[in-house]
Amino acid sequence: MKILYLIKKEFLEIFRQRELLFMMLIAPVFQLILLGYIVTTDIKNVPVGIIDLSTGTSTSRIINRIAGSGLFDIKNISRVNRDSVNELKKGDVKAIIVFRDPVKTGRSIPRYPEIQILLDGADSNSSGIAAGYFNGIIKNYILDDIESLGIAPIVKSKPLIRFNPELRSINYMGPGIVAVLLTIITLFITSLSIVREKEQQTIDTLLISRLRPYEIYIGKALPMGIVGLLNMCIGVLVAVLWFDIPVRGNLFYLLLSAIIYLMAILSYGMLISIFSSSQQQSLFYSWFSIITFILLSGLFTPLENIPVGLKWLVKINPLSYLVKIIREIFLKGNGIEQFYGDLLSLGLIAFVISSISIFNFKKFISK
Amino acid sequence: MNENIIEVRELKKKFGDFIAVNSINFGVRKGEILGFLGPNGAGKTTTIKMIMGLLSITSGDIIIDGINLAKSKEVKEKLGYMSQKFSLYPKLSAIENIEFFAGISGLGKKKIKSKIDELQDIVQKDLLDRSVDKLPPGIKQKVALYASLIPDPDILLLDEPTSGVDPEVRRNFWQEIYNIKKRGKTILVTTHNLDEVEYADRIVILHRGNIIVEGEPSELIREHGVDSVETLFKEAVRDYEGN
Repeated sequence: MKILYLIKKEFLEIFRQRELLFMMLIAPVFQLILLGYIVTTDIKNVPVGIIDLSTGTSTSRIINRIAGSGLFDIKNISRVNRDSVNELKKGDVKAIIVFRDPVKTGRSIPRYPEIQILLDGADSNSSGIAAGYFNGIIKNYILDDIESLGIAPIVKSKPLIRFNPELRSINYMGPGIVAVLLTIITLFITSLSIVREKEQQTIDTLLISRLRPYEIYIGKALPMGIVGLLNMCIGVLVAVLWFDIPVRGNLFYLLLSAIIYLMAILSYGMLISIFSSSQQQSLFYSWFSIITFILLSGLFTPLENIPVGLKWLVKINPLSYLVKIIREIFLKGNGIEQFYGDLLSLGLIAFVISSISIFNFKKFISK
Repeated sequence: MNENIIEVRELKKKFGDFIAVNSINFGVRKGEILGFLGPNGAGKTTTIKMIMGLLSITSGDIIIDGINLAKSKEVKEKLGYMSQKFSLYPKLSAIENIEFFAGISGLGKKKIKSKIDELQDIVQKDLLDRSVDKLPPGIKQKVALYASLIPDPDILLLDEPTSGVDPEVRRNFWQEIYNIKKRGKTILVTTHNLDEVEYADRIVILHRGNIIVEGEPSELIREHGVDSVETLFKEAVRDYEGN
C-alpha cells in the first residue's frame, strides 16, 4: 500500500516540527483553559458607586441585597450628590445607583425610594446584563417586602432553567471552544501541507511518483484529520475534567459530526494550500478564514443578532453547525433525531467544499 | 545509439502573453547525457516540467520511448527526477527519505530494506539517522540522486543538480552521472554553468525559449572556430539578439 508510506511521512513531518507539535498538543489545552476562564458572559465584581439621597429605610436593605449578590463590588456610598457622569468617565465604577425620595403626591409616605441606575454603556454587553440583575434584585426585594406585609402578589414569575440551571458561561462556551480549536489546528496544518511541498520542490517528485492523485489527496488529508480528532479528544477531556462541563449526549454523535465537519475543513485547507504559493500566504488565508468562521459561528454572539442580509453567510459556515450540534450534545443530551437537519446541512457543505477542492487538486496536478 | 528516447516536437509553452518555450525541437538519444544549458529564465525548467507532465503543453508533442505523453500518463513511470533543491524532505533522515521514496514507488518490504542497506555505501553510518536539513550539501545531493533512481527509471531528469555546491562536490557528482550512464540510463541535465558542458555528450543551448545551439561540444567549438562553449554561447546570443 503506497499510500501508507505517504501517511507515515506526513505524521513524521508533523511530529518532527516542534513548533507544530506545541501548537497541536499543548496550545489546545492552554487555550481552552485560558478561553474557558476569559470568554464568559457572566458578570462578577462589577464596581458600583451609590448615591443615597433618600430618607427611607428600604434603601439600606436594597443596598445590602446588591452587596450580598456577589455580582457587584460597592466601591463607595455617598450621602451627597456628585458628578456621576465624570465618575463613569474615569472608569472607577461601571454603574452608579442613585436613591432619592419620590415626590410626595398624597398624605401617605412612599414606602420605596425612586431609583436611578446609571450605567457605563461603553461596555454595552456587561452593562445590559448588570441592568437586568439590578432590576431583578430590586423587584425581588419589593415582592418579598409586599409578601412580608401579608399581601400576596398578583403575579410572581419563577423561571425554571433547564440544561444549564446554574447559568454557567463555561458550560455554554466550552463545547464551542472545542469546535473552534478543532478548526484552528486542522485548518492551519492542512493549509500548509501542499504549499510546503511546493516550497521544498518535493511536490514534483510526488506528482511523478506512482501514487495516484486520489492517494496523494487522501494521504495528505487523512493524517491531518487524525491529528484534528486527537485534538478534539484533548479538548473534550479538558472541558469535562477541568471545567466539569457535563456531557449528556452520545459521544458517538460528536465523533460523527466531527468527522463530517473535518471533511469540510480539511478540503478547505487543501484548497488554500493548492492556491497558495508560499507558507506565509497560506497562513494569512487560514487566519482570515478562521476569524470569519468564528465571528459567524454563534460562539461569542447570538446568531439571531446577525442582520438578515448576512444570515446566508452563517448558513454556509460549517463551524456554525458544529458549534450548535456540539452544544446540543453536551448540554441538552440531544441525539441525531434532534439535529439531523444541521448534520445534513453540514454534510452538504462538506460535499460541496470537497468537490471544489478535489476538482482544483486535479487541475493543479495536470496543469 | 542514435535512437531518440525523448522526442520533442514544436513544443510551445505560453503563460498569458509570455512565451516561455517557443516551438522547440530536439531529441535525447538513448544512453546519452544531454546538457540543457542556458541562463536563468531561458525556459529549461519549463521544458523539463513539460516532459515530466507536470506542466500542460500549449502546443507541440513530447514522445517518450515511442509513446506520446499526451496519450499515456503511464509513460511517466520511465522518468526519474531530481530538482534543484534535491527533492528531499528536510525533517526526515536519509533512511526515512529512502524508505518513503521506495515505498511510494511500490517496492516490497525486502526491496525497501535492500535499498536502505545500499544507502550505507553512499552515506556514512553516523549521518544516516540525521535529519536531511542537517546534512552537508554534497551528501544531500548524493541521497537525492540515489532517491531519484529508486523507481529504476530509464530516463533521469536533473534540474540544476549542481547549483549551490562546491567544485569538488560538483566533479564527484558528474562522476556519479557517468556511472549511471554506464548502467544504460539516459540523462537530461539542465544547468546554467557553461563550464559543465564538457561533461555532456551533446548540448542544447536555450535562450529566451528558443534553441540557439545544438550539437556535440567539441564539434561545435570546431565548427564555429571558437575556443570554448562560453564564447560560442556569447556569440550565439549576440547573433540571436541581432536578428
